[in-house]
Amino acid sequence: MEFLGYRRNDGTFGVRNHILVVSSVSCADGVVEAVGRSLPEVMTVTGAFGCGYDRVGFRVVTGLINNPNVGAVLAIGLGCESLKSEVLAGSARNKPAEALVVQRDGGSTATTAKSVAIATRFLEELRKQEREPAPVSELVVGLECGGSDAFSGMTANPAVGIAADCYVGEGATVILGETTEMIGTAHILKRRGASPEMGEKIEQLVNGQERRVREVLGERAGMVIAPGNIDGGLSSITEKSLGCITKAGSTPINEVVSYAECPSQRGLVIMDTPGYDIASMSGFAAGGAQLIIFTTGRGSTAGFPAVPVVKVASNSPMYHKMPGDMDINAGSIVDDGRTVDEVGREIFNLSIKVASGQTTCAEINRSAPFGYMRGIMF
Amino acid sequence: MKSNALRINDNDNVAIAAEVIKQGDPVVVNGELVCKTTEDIEPGHKVALFPIANGEIVFRYGEPIVQVIRDISQGEWVHVHNTRPVPGDLQE
Repeated sequence: MEFLGYRRNDGTFGVRNHILVVSSVSCADGVVEAVGRSLPEVMTVTGAFGCGYDRVGFRVVTGLINNPNVGAVLAIGLGCESLKSEVLAGSARNKPAEALVVQRDGGSTATTAKSVAIATRFLEELRKQEREPAPVSELVVGLECGGSDAFSGMTANPAVGIAADCYVGEGATVILGETTEMIGTAHILKRRGASPEMGEKIEQLVNGQERRVREVLGERAGMVIAPGNIDGGLSSITEKSLGCITKAGSTPINEVVSYAECPSQRGLVIMDTPGYDIASMSGFAAGGAQLIIFTTGRGSTAGFPAVPVVKVASNSPMYHKMPGDMDINAGSIVDDGRTVDEVGREIFNLSIKVASGQTTCAEINRSAPFGYMRGIMF
Repeated sequence: MKSNALRINDNDNVAIAAEVIKQGDPVVVNGELVCKTTEDIEPGHKVALFPIANGEIVFRYGEPIVQVIRDISQGEWVHVHNTRPVPGDLQE
């Protein structure tokens, strides 16, 4: 099966062709935002903590710069920060990248004018590129859930599990994240490991996360492990977490990667990301995901910079209450007698269309929040 | 017949109510009547599709989720009042 993507020099394929305008430190955010106001076509990313030493931030931002959906990069720094914009631009492989420095390039107004000129040139270059057929096996798809409800584990997540199996069947890479949401299923995920060693690795990851949560939060650990589940009908932590990991379908787990690390294997992969949706999606995007499928029960509106996010509603009342935010209604499994399988295939087919250029609700709404894991985050 | 409960995996011995199922009303899964409820079942909550004996395991997603602590009859609500975590699982 094929989609239409932008071929990159390193053999990967983007599903978008964005110009990323990114600050290396929050002090340069004003210039980045001004560029965004002048040229709404560019994708702005602000909020990097480049002033101090921030190893994770560096990995996330350089990972996003090298995401196949990014066609060109303009990095803007203040000048006195430790994470230089030249270093960010220099990290870009196989794509045009330039750096500006506010303190060197004439202050905010002049740097904004120079930035707009560079971004305009990038826009003209990128407009010449055309989509071409690419095998679905070239896709890396992140799976996210946020604002879950009692229906998430009944409708949206099992349906996404079918879509995940379809992607793996095509030879693509699927990333399951949110380690905290796996607590209680270490023994089940262990069996899913592609080898006994991989099973051990998965068990250690999930049990380690549980230990950390209990060490840091003590009696309040339940807030992140099992928030308000009993009223919704969930009888054990295992049952709750099974509802989350069902998004990953039924195939073996081939690899465990750390936060914002690129998988080296295809098929189903676990990434150690926090339960905070935006930070989790940053990990996927930095790990090379060109597409994210996101289930929600309460109604999350979050997209992500440069990576289209397909929103799957778990229930029809929310889908109808937030019509411009949801791409697919998995509540139809409950209300219209559709099967999990049918809706799963709909998610797969729609997300392939999105990969070929169809815009998602979050893209239309220009919802592209950015944030990443800093310090202790579950 | 319109379904009012979902069974995710063929090995599951419970279904999840998609809407309120009143006491004595039919539980319909995939368009087929399975049993009648012995009490009201709230949406998102579990109903036993078969009798489950004391000590037996409740399966959802084809995986063990809780252990039954007394005999549960077909059509009965299955939750924390008549189950406990599977031994070895997290107990919270």
